Amino acid sequence: MFTKQELTQVKSAQKRWNKDNRGEFRKERHSKFTSDEGMVRQRVYTPLDLSEKGISYTSDLGFPGEYPYTRGITSTMYRSQLPLSLHTIGRAIPEEFNRICRDVYAAGSGMVGILTDLPTQLGYDPDFPPARAEVGKVGTSLCSLRDWEVAFDGINLGKVWTHIQANAQATWALACYSVAAERQGVDTTKLEGNLQNDIFKEFNARGMYIFPPRQSLRLVTDSLVYCAEHMPRFKPLQIQSYGYSEAGANRVHEIAFTLATAVTYLEAALGRGVDIDAIAPCVMFLLSHDHIDFFDEIAKIRATRKIWATLMKERFHARKDESMKMVILSSQGGTSLVKEQYMNNIARGAITWLAGALAGCQQIGNRSYDECRGIASDEALLTALRSGQIVTHETGVCDVVDPLGGSYYVESLTCQYEEKITQALDEIAARGGMVKATEDGYVVRVIREDAYKYQKMVESGERLKVGHNIFQMPEEEKEARVYRADPKVIKKRVQDVEQFKKKRNIQKVNRTLNELKKCAAAKESNETNLMMPIMEAVKASATLGEVCGTLRAVFGEYQGPNA
Amino acid sequence: MVKKHPIKVVLAKPGLDGHDRGINVVSLALRDAGMEVVYLGRQATPEQIVETAIQEGANLIGMSILSDTHMDYCPQVIDLLREKNAGNTKVILGGFIPNQKDVRWLKKYGVAEVFGTGSSLDAIVKWINENV
Repeated sequence: MFTKQELTQVKSAQKRWNKDNRGEFRKERHSKFTSDEGMVRQRVYTPLDLSEKGISYTSDLGFPGEYPYTRGITSTMYRSQLPLSLHTIGRAIPEEFNRICRDVYAAGSGMVGILTDLPTQLGYDPDFPPARAEVGKVGTSLCSLRDWEVAFDGINLGKVWTHIQANAQATWALACYSVAAERQGVDTTKLEGNLQNDIFKEFNARGMYIFPPRQSLRLVTDSLVYCAEHMPRFKPLQIQSYGYSEAGANRVHEIAFTLATAVTYLEAALGRGVDIDAIAPCVMFLLSHDHIDFFDEIAKIRATRKIWATLMKERFHARKDESMKMVILSSQGGTSLVKEQYMNNIARGAITWLAGALAGCQQIGNRSYDECRGIASDEALLTALRSGQIVTHETGVCDVVDPLGGSYYVESLTCQYEEKITQALDEIAARGGMVKATEDGYVVRVIREDAYKYQKMVESGERLKVGHNIFQMPEEEKEARVYRADPKVIKKRVQDVEQFKKKRNIQKVNRTLNELKKCAAAKESNETNLMMPIMEAVKASATLGEVCGTLRAVFGEYQGPNA
Repeated sequence: MVKKHPIKVVLAKPGLDGHDRGINVVSLALRDAGMEVVYLGRQATPEQIVETAIQEGANLIGMSILSDTHMDYCPQVIDLLREKNAGNTKVILGGFIPNQKDVRWLKKYGVAEVFGTGSSLDAIVKWINENV
């Protein structure tokens, strides 16, 4: 990027500068500055760093909207389309979710996200006795098409981007969402949104899995193939690094596991004979980023976008631009919040939002300041949304595409992350790929060690957290006004579901479940795509527990990685 | 001189919650502190937890809960221990406990100590060494 003569001049000037400032350098706060991954931060970055790494503007960066998309996936980025702001909402029952969903939508979010409770995530109805203690505790209890209709009543699903947390039961959630939209009178080919349908991060990080890996992959492929044909603007496969990061993986491992998983899903779908350019645009990513190691997060996301484009082009031979463009929702991790002096989390959320915008994400999520104290209150949700709006509308960072592009530091760091992530990807491939690395517990062990290392850094004071291990203040025993499910509401929810089940045409329910069972027992193929029988069961008011129970009987249950 | 047996701890996550970062990290810290850890993993039932503790002759049960179900599972485990005459096995709780009222109630019921999110590994190891 620089002439040889210029580089020689910079080199000699830096030599002199180093000599002149030797005394000053000795007064630095640390002998070595590093990120959590141990990436050494130099004192200063210059054109020499870019030249030593062999960075080429045209092949490594390029123009926005052009391969390899390091600078962003569209030519104008936020000058045309501001990033959407995601605020996932957890409320105990569909009626409560609906109320706050309307508020957040009216406040200008443009995007609604539903978080479900643990029984829902694991495919159990709320009246299933072992699930009773968990109903409505960490998200909304949803078990029937009727619940989905209540949850999104008054929200035009044709006009809002819907983020659906589903995973193990994602095919069921997709069926409910699509039928609910159809009943609203929405043309389902126009639906926009995404399904969190990444079962491998459940095996390796979050633990909300039901079926074994092979059968789980079949379900993921079924939803991909279905949407490629019927819901082309919807993203039925949101692959996420967030789960790995929250479980403690460092940035390099977080991204490597995510990309290795993406490769696994795509290969499974290609095995069904579909074209890469039909399914790749159905994939999007949920990455994680915090305010912590600000520039590392930005560089990580830029590098990930580039690696994805390269993978799609060179390994999968994608031809369409859309297949190579990584659509990114990046969200702040709850673990970045600090419990002590918790109002400070507003600042953490805003800085995180800024990092997401500087990294060129399509959607950005920040956490509510009180989430370290419980389920976010209405006020905290609104403050989080407003923090992002301040970044987009007041700071001016959205007026220039990739404003940090060309920074000696950010480009060097992007290159470093690309190298490290690629090495980690090679390591997973050498271990036989993501399925094997999952089953033999490699992924879980790596994450566990990373989490332990990080915790020790916090306890030794190497990693500072304001209010926690520096600038502490005596804490008053004051409770945060967080949301907590009302036991009376939960009790009524369980009774309502019992009543709902009694009022259905049970013959019709059983007939659709039998069809589902037959289809599940048949060999995996595009003709035995399970989306169709699941949609029929949903329309007949079969519940989540019944649909997943039917599949459990055929597929069996996974016992987890062997770690 | 008789060699002292290492402290034996059963760690488990009752309920459906999958968040195991905390308990994983604690299990590594206890191992590095020379304790013997039997880790039952996720979705362990109160019956499994208590039976394992009795069979293994554990000194301590450590549970981690982040889904606001501590008021359900902690009393169940403590009741079962008492029923099976193993009430001297101490029980500690880690994870997310949203308020101090719950903490006081749990301690009164028989939970020996509560280490909420953000607790240090050193504090947990120190407590176990001093109280078990």
